[in-house]
Amino acid sequence: MSTQEKLISHVMKEEAVGCRNKVTVVGVGMVGMASAISILLKDLCDELALVDVMEDKLKGEAMDLQHGALFLKTHKIVADKDYSVTANSKVVVVTAGARQQEGESRLNLVQRNVNIFKFIIPNIVKYSPNCILLVVSNPVDILTYVAWKLSGFPRHRVIGSGTNLDSARFRHLMGEKFHLHPSSCHGWIIGEHGDSSVAVWSGVNIAGVSLQNLNPNMGADGDSENWKDVHKKVVDGAYEVIKLKGYTSWAIGMSVADLVESIMKNLHKVHPVSTLVQGMHGVKDEVFLSIPCVLGNSGLTDVIHMTLKPEEETQLVKSAETLWGVQKELTL
Amino acid sequence: MASVLQKLITPLFTGTPEPPRNKVTVVGVGQVGMACAVSILLRELADELALVDVVEDKLKGEMMDLQHGSLFLKTPKIVADKDYSVTANSRIVVVTAGVRQQEGESRLNLVQRNVNIFKHIIPQIVRYSPDCIIIVVSNPVDVLTYVTWKLSGLPKHRVIGSGTNLDSARFRFLMADKLGIHSSSFNGWILGEHGDTSVPVWSGTNVAGVNLQTLNPNIGTDFDEENWKETHKMVVDSAYEVIKLKGYTNWAIGLSVADLTESLMRNMNRIHPVSTMVQGMYGISDEVYLSLPCVLNSGGVASVVNMTLTDEEVAQLQASANTLWDIQRDLRDI
Repeated sequence: MSTQEKLISHVMKEEAVGCRNKVTVVGVGMVGMASAISILLKDLCDELALVDVMEDKLKGEAMDLQHGALFLKTHKIVADKDYSVTANSKVVVVTAGARQQEGESRLNLVQRNVNIFKFIIPNIVKYSPNCILLVVSNPVDILTYVAWKLSGFPRHRVIGSGTNLDSARFRHLMGEKFHLHPSSCHGWIIGEHGDSSVAVWSGVNIAGVSLQNLNPNMGADGDSENWKDVHKKVVDGAYEVIKLKGYTSWAIGMSVADLVESIMKNLHKVHPVSTLVQGMHGVKDEVFLSIPCVLGNSGLTDVIHMTLKPEEETQLVKSAETLWGVQKELTL
Repeated sequence: MASVLQKLITPLFTGTPEPPRNKVTVVGVGQVGMACAVSILLRELADELALVDVVEDKLKGEMMDLQHGSLFLKTPKIVADKDYSVTANSRIVVVTAGVRQQEGESRLNLVQRNVNIFKHIIPQIVRYSPDCIIIVVSNPVDVLTYVTWKLSGLPKHRVIGSGTNLDSARFRFLMADKLGIHSSSFNGWILGEHGDTSVPVWSGTNVAGVNLQTLNPNIGTDFDEENWKETHKMVVDSAYEVIKLKGYTNWAIGLSVADLTESLMRNMNRIHPVSTMVQGMYGISDEVYLSLPCVLNSGGVASVVNMTLTDEEVAQLQASANTLWDIQRDLRDI
């Protein structure tokens, strides 16, 4: 008898149930791994699968995480370039694709990443036909649209990480200005995750006190406190970090874990994420933009109707037109 | 005209803000340093985190990237500078700075290169946080923990090497995986040098109190039909293997450092295999640091557990001590 047989007797006659809360991360670059470690440290899944095309890097990352198993509550960490390893996932986080070079805008990456998605998305769907897709790769709004088209999923199961991170950056900057924790500073950035995101000044508040009521010029050019600059810092934030360290990872990783948490724990929490906005706020085209959405274990079940100023709606429509301009040229 | 801030908020207390009570500094923002930082942040162990490095752009970029995630964290202050004044009043300082192993390079080769870096770092740490506990992670960790102890002038219980905390975690993962159980349900200790000559204490391996060596008296020897010795070899080789595959290791060491930080910060009196000054124990007469089971609390290493080791295991520890002392006595300027 082996040591194992002497020590342990298996008493369950049925097949083991297996995982019930599986998360897959596609892409083991900096963003994928930051998402993975954030998800693991928040104890969000009982199985984590990693997929990538670079086999050595993939195996190395999986081993490095497995070696930390003692300190984690995720018993099974698997990795393979074959998508069968992702089977039965509840949430699949897609970070794969080329990333912005210094100074490059997100829209430039498009066709490169569409081609990658044409391989990835059908494979994900094949092995987890009921999963929720969380798209992170940039340009996220377009790629969420692409993932939706390629997957054939209903729109409530295809979510783009969108402006969840922009809003987090904004709330961090607000927190610095007022010496408060970001979670006590409320502000929503919606629309495109990128250069033309929209800061909804009318909603910015602390303890329910609307800051725009205290400063009616907030966000306008005549604003002595220059809040517009705060929004500009959010837009420039990613470019600045990329210039300094080559890429961004930690903030987006934590923001992904925040979204995965709401989904896995069925929180019905409201997040600004990218969803199909056709028919809302004057948007006519089939595009994905970020608005406040309710996330739970079925996915993105409801959207919040923000009361936007005419200029804000115009900006959204303009973003939608820009995105549609790019989308209609894509070969899907 | 009153600003929004003035209209909104009425201060009640305008004295100097309280200093942090649970500040952690991470020296070195390479892959290991940042994995330690993010693990410590996500485990909510610190009320302030300071990062230090010499590469200024990278340092600022890493700080900003963490700050952008502050909405999701419970560490309200994250600072970074190449000037060590930013580290003042730290309770724990994690040192990951230094050069890392190249593919195939052993940890001992790195020594003199890293000693020179430490001569700059350690006095500055102590200057700004004279009451801190230093956790040394840079390799070769046992030698560099000794170097840190010498350069810092701190009492030995406040200088700890991450040591075989990670080797033991890897060992427990691999053994538990073979048995189909969670790592925390498998008890096993790897002691001694964090490196090629680490010592697996087979006589202590157990699950639910059932001693594995009693079930298999040949366990860990060359006569063992089940070849459990291979598992220890895999632990020794793991770092090299991960480095070969992805270029470096970071997640596991980061998690293991957060584990130690938790015991220290929360005054837990948990036992961890970490590198401590072992002169006088197990017949070791030199001033060397090796990993033994240590009780960690907010004062640092409170005590060392006297494991019952076989003669062979003691001999292995002594051999490690001799190897390390051979290297240490040739080091210049400490």
